[in-house]
Amino acid sequence: MTRLSGGLIDRKAPLGFTFNGKTYQGFQGDTLASALLANGVQLVGRSFKYHRPRGIFTAGSEEPNALVTLRSGARAEPNTRATVAELFAGLEARSQNHIGPLEHDLMAVNDLLSPFFAAGFYYKTFMWPRAFWERLYEPAIRRAAGLGALSTLPDPDTYDKGFLHCDLLVIGGGATGLSAALTAARAGAEVILADEDFRFGGRLLAESDLLDGAPATDWVDRTCAELAAMPNVRLMPRTTVFGTYDHGIFGAVQRVADHLPDPTGQVRQTLWRITAKRSVLAAGAIERHIPFADNDRPGIMLAGAMRAYANRWAAAPVRKSGDPVAIFTNGDDGHRTALDLLAKGVPVLGVIDTRPAVAAFGAYQVFSGGTVTGTKGRHGLTAIEITRNGQSSWHNVGALGVAGGWNPNVHLASHHRGRPVWDNDLLAFVPGADGPKGMFPAGAARGKGGTHAALTDGMEMAIAALSDIGVSASPIALPDTPDTPAKQSAYWYVPAKKRAWVDFQNDVTVKDITLSHTENMRSVEHLKRWTTLGMATDQGKTSNISALAVMADLTGATIPETGTTIFRPPYTGVSLSVLGGGDTGHHFRPRRLTPTHHWATAQGAEFTEVGQWMRASYFPRAGETHWRQSVDREVLTVRHDVGLCDVTTLGKIDVQGADAAEFLNRIYSNMMGTLKVGMVRYGLMLREDGHLYDDGTCARLGVDHFVVTTTTANAGAVYRNMEFAHQCLWPELDVQLISTTDAWAQIAVAGPKSRALLQRIVDGFDLSNEAFPFMACAELTICGGLRARLFRISFSGELAYEIAVPARYGHALMERLMHVGADLGATPYGTEALAVLRIEKGHAAGAELNGQTTALMLGLGKMVSPKKDSIGAVMSRREGLAQERRRLVGLMPVEPQSQIPAGSHLFTKGTTQNMETDQGWVTSSCYSPYLNSYIALGFLEDGDTRMGEVITAANPLEGQSFEAKVVPTHFVDPEGGRLRD
Amino acid sequence: MLIPHPLLGLRDSQEFTYLGDASLMNRPDPSAVTAEADFCDYVFLRDNPAGVHRELWFHEQGDRSWLIVTRNTLTHEILGAELARDLPARGAK
Amino acid sequence: MTDLIPLTALGAVDARTARFGALTLTEDDSLGLASLTLRKGQAAPTPFGLTLPEVGAMTTSGPYGAFWTGANQWMIIGAGQGTGDFAALVHAEAPNASITEQTDGFAAFHITSAAGPDLIPALMAKLVNLPPAAYAPGHATRTGLEHMTVFVLRPSDTQISVIGMRSYAASLWHAISVAAARLEHVPV
Repeated sequence: MTRLSGGLIDRKAPLGFTFNGKTYQGFQGDTLASALLANGVQLVGRSFKYHRPRGIFTAGSEEPNALVTLRSGARAEPNTRATVAELFAGLEARSQNHIGPLEHDLMAVNDLLSPFFAAGFYYKTFMWPRAFWERLYEPAIRRAAGLGALSTLPDPDTYDKGFLHCDLLVIGGGATGLSAALTAARAGAEVILADEDFRFGGRLLAESDLLDGAPATDWVDRTCAELAAMPNVRLMPRTTVFGTYDHGIFGAVQRVADHLPDPTGQVRQTLWRITAKRSVLAAGAIERHIPFADNDRPGIMLAGAMRAYANRWAAAPVRKSGDPVAIFTNGDDGHRTALDLLAKGVPVLGVIDTRPAVAAFGAYQVFSGGTVTGTKGRHGLTAIEITRNGQSSWHNVGALGVAGGWNPNVHLASHHRGRPVWDNDLLAFVPGADGPKGMFPAGAARGKGGTHAALTDGMEMAIAALSDIGVSASPIALPDTPDTPAKQSAYWYVPAKKRAWVDFQNDVTVKDITLSHTENMRSVEHLKRWTTLGMATDQGKTSNISALAVMADLTGATIPETGTTIFRPPYTGVSLSVLGGGDTGHHFRPRRLTPTHHWATAQGAEFTEVGQWMRASYFPRAGETHWRQSVDREVLTVRHDVGLCDVTTLGKIDVQGADAAEFLNRIYSNMMGTLKVGMVRYGLMLREDGHLYDDGTCARLGVDHFVVTTTTANAGAVYRNMEFAHQCLWPELDVQLISTTDAWAQIAVAGPKSRALLQRIVDGFDLSNEAFPFMACAELTICGGLRARLFRISFSGELAYEIAVPARYGHALMERLMHVGADLGATPYGTEALAVLRIEKGHAAGAELNGQTTALMLGLGKMVSPKKDSIGAVMSRREGLAQERRRLVGLMPVEPQSQIPAGSHLFTKGTTQNMETDQGWVTSSCYSPYLNSYIALGFLEDGDTRMGEVITAANPLEGQSFEAKVVPTHFVDPEGGRLRD
Repeated sequence: MLIPHPLLGLRDSQEFTYLGDASLMNRPDPSAVTAEADFCDYVFLRDNPAGVHRELWFHEQGDRSWLIVTRNTLTHEILGAELARDLPARGAK
Repeated sequence: MTDLIPLTALGAVDARTARFGALTLTEDDSLGLASLTLRKGQAAPTPFGLTLPEVGAMTTSGPYGAFWTGANQWMIIGAGQGTGDFAALVHAEAPNASITEQTDGFAAFHITSAAGPDLIPALMAKLVNLPPAAYAPGHATRTGLEHMTVFVLRPSDTQISVIGMRSYAASLWHAISVAAARLEHVPV
């Protein structure tokens, strides 16, 4: 055990956990990383490419090395940073990316082969043969160079989502964020304070600074308690703001139950979309390291992280208690670690400071003007080589802290093309002025990193942000703390012959950068892609600036001249499960149910999705073993008796107003204004480019009242386009539009016995052909006083009606029609039979109205009225469309039992089949039980003049070819007598 | 994005359906001698500026208003929004 | 009266109700709904004595109410008018306006909190992307909920109503009840 005294852990709450199967103990308040360190575990993983032993490098979400798999089975979660995994009782963790035990990884041979794995290795090596990429190279590379593996089991947990709105979002709950949140909260603003940690305080928890002479946690706890008690404040610990989006919108993931031993029954994570009028970015700073030879051994970590482990988690970063620790620094900050470790009783070998003539701040040795030039230790650091004035000496140590200065954590400020700018005084990039609008970086996130400076800046930025939205906030009393500005220095890396790692997660060394430069990768963007530097899950949080410094040295340019990299969302990894929002299976998207849905379900109907609607596709009966049996029976029932089909899904738009008729004249290509009250007319809508858009019926219920139907698929879009025409093109017209699709249950009653059936339910309404002819419509009552709308329209070509009642009665009406029509053979039919019936009748549907066709092609050219303007009318007459020669025809296969697949192309019999001889295509195809033959519809060049000709329909995809006779589109009742009788 | 609806204030862009260039409001005169060419331009030729752009948005999950939103396509800064029906009638009679 | 037996939007004879801790979710199939749109140049009528509300607002008077749905357009509500010809009643009250029957176009769900008003925004934060001010008492607005378009009405500080397209009723109930169940632990 290397556990120290003190710390923010609850020693009364011990927690047992396992790492690679071995049992350890930590405490409530530990992270997996701190608990491992307190147990003397330094080796936690293998590196990405070379399989080098790696240890914990940081104490936060910037961790490049300590990626582990948490939990097991379906909950196994790979690539989790041990540094942010909150310890819980029974936590199972496993290391990743090794074959065999972690200590004896068989893939470690890669390290010996490292000369072959230099920058651009993949691009240079795996070039040919091309076929080997997918079959050999990629799978092998993925196995060797990798991260954790997915469980591939369904995620057993539930996820949630939500939307929050506030005046001020404070991102980060350290000194800066707490000060900002308190300032804003006291001003009465709606405040959200989010921090990725499970405990607020940020670096205040990791440092030994006193606030008002007391431990910083006193002030943190007091502040959190005050904020928690305020109704205008929402405290969100365990919440990562992962992305900055337009206009003050942020994405955040709250880990609700990740820290619980068993998250069953709980929401595991919640995705929040936060809309904030202003934000304060108090994300702190990330420490940078100093690359030197063999700097990647377990036991070498950032000096600030070392301080955090000692102060917050009471863990010494060594394998054996009493092992000495050394610090390698280029500034004063490293000395703080030495002091804090000494205060905790950890022996300190000394501080190696690159600066000349530096004095110690306490009782430890300083190696002024020194650098670390080598390390030893196979599975953990055992010795370092210190070089001063050309003299080198080896020293035994158990750990080494590296302090290269601090980089403002500009990540979220650069999501909107906000380029960080170089601060020559600070020697770091800070958020630029062109960052996300409404975002106020504060504290260490903009280089004001001392505790006093951070507290003050948080307060001031909150005041400034609120002032921007007209909220006046007053300064608050801040705790007293010494103002200790620390100057950073420009010592970036120790030149070395051996490999010196810059990016630990991607195994990129100083040599790789040098090689890239030699190979002419001069732009930093090229460098990134050639070496993969900064491209892993940590996005180079600890490595980018070091890499730029190396590049700058090579080019002789300054760091800002060399460039920077733009960070993109997400700040840290976000699981797809939480992005999915929680609902899975059939709840994944909403479904629309028809008024007869439950009735159809009870009948055993099979359903199909049409847009979001669930429609019955057919109703199998006992003994029917194939869908065609059911569909054929349903079709024949309509042809011979009477069938019932729920057609509620067709869009219905109520059009009223003094200019309704004129408006519809402009919407439909054919004349609508002349429609008589009580009649229905079929109508075509075009796109403004002259092509067909939608079709449907238009019923005139009154002089200034119409009901328009649309196809199911276009219901929303047609309404939107009609509103466009109304509001944007012709606002002077007196028209009112309301979508009423859901209000009416509409049932098609089709077949020769439909009149007889309806006669049994209408309240004395005269259904005779004289009183209610084809294309008539009426408002009436049925079944003893229920108001209804009746339309005599036919999609099947038979005598047919559509009857609409208020939706709540749809189910009962269907039952009633079935009941009173039993002796007439009343039978429900679904969308499959509907499709067969309309193909038999030659009616166009989606396959014919596919956006590439015109009224002319449907043989409906006369429906584009030349007497008036309408949407698409002008363009429908343009050259090219007006000369279109393809026409919709019926096709009867010469061999009746062979189906011509829709999509087949049409050719004159005997011609070569190519693009030049192509004469059209098959749009719809089905088996007609009425004709005992397969039939099809298709567009054929000059089709209207080729009746009786036998042509070829080819489906080269499947090597099929059919002979088919060209026939009129009306396979059934071409004279149309049936629907008019 | 947030769209400043002239009646309803800031509303999330997810409530809206985007159409595009506001020139779609300028439907040509179908009776003009040059109607076919005019419509060809109207239907097929749009500006797609990298910068300030006037564009049509429909408040589908809202009050069903068509808006003209002036937006900088580079920065997504929104400079204003008007109700399309309040603008002078542009459609041909 | 017809002898056909109506079903609620959720497909049962009786309206559904469910409790989730302090939250009660109720299907209301008794509301009559009709939209009222002004004709060009028409002055706003006062159906059932209602002063048609301003943008984003709702109003009630006895069993009747109205909420703003768009420019010159309102939805008129009549409690207990679910099976009658409510549009005809509204038309009689405002003969010059365009009236469209909407009663069965929508499914209405009321959510009441027995634990004070704070539970309402807590629930709505899981459902709609609106600042609480947009659904403060007396407000009515249309927005998206799980990709469905809904009206959100706030008759009082402890009640909110979600009115969505009838065909989506089951999905809407699912969405609201899942969100409400996650607040079940909040004490009454």
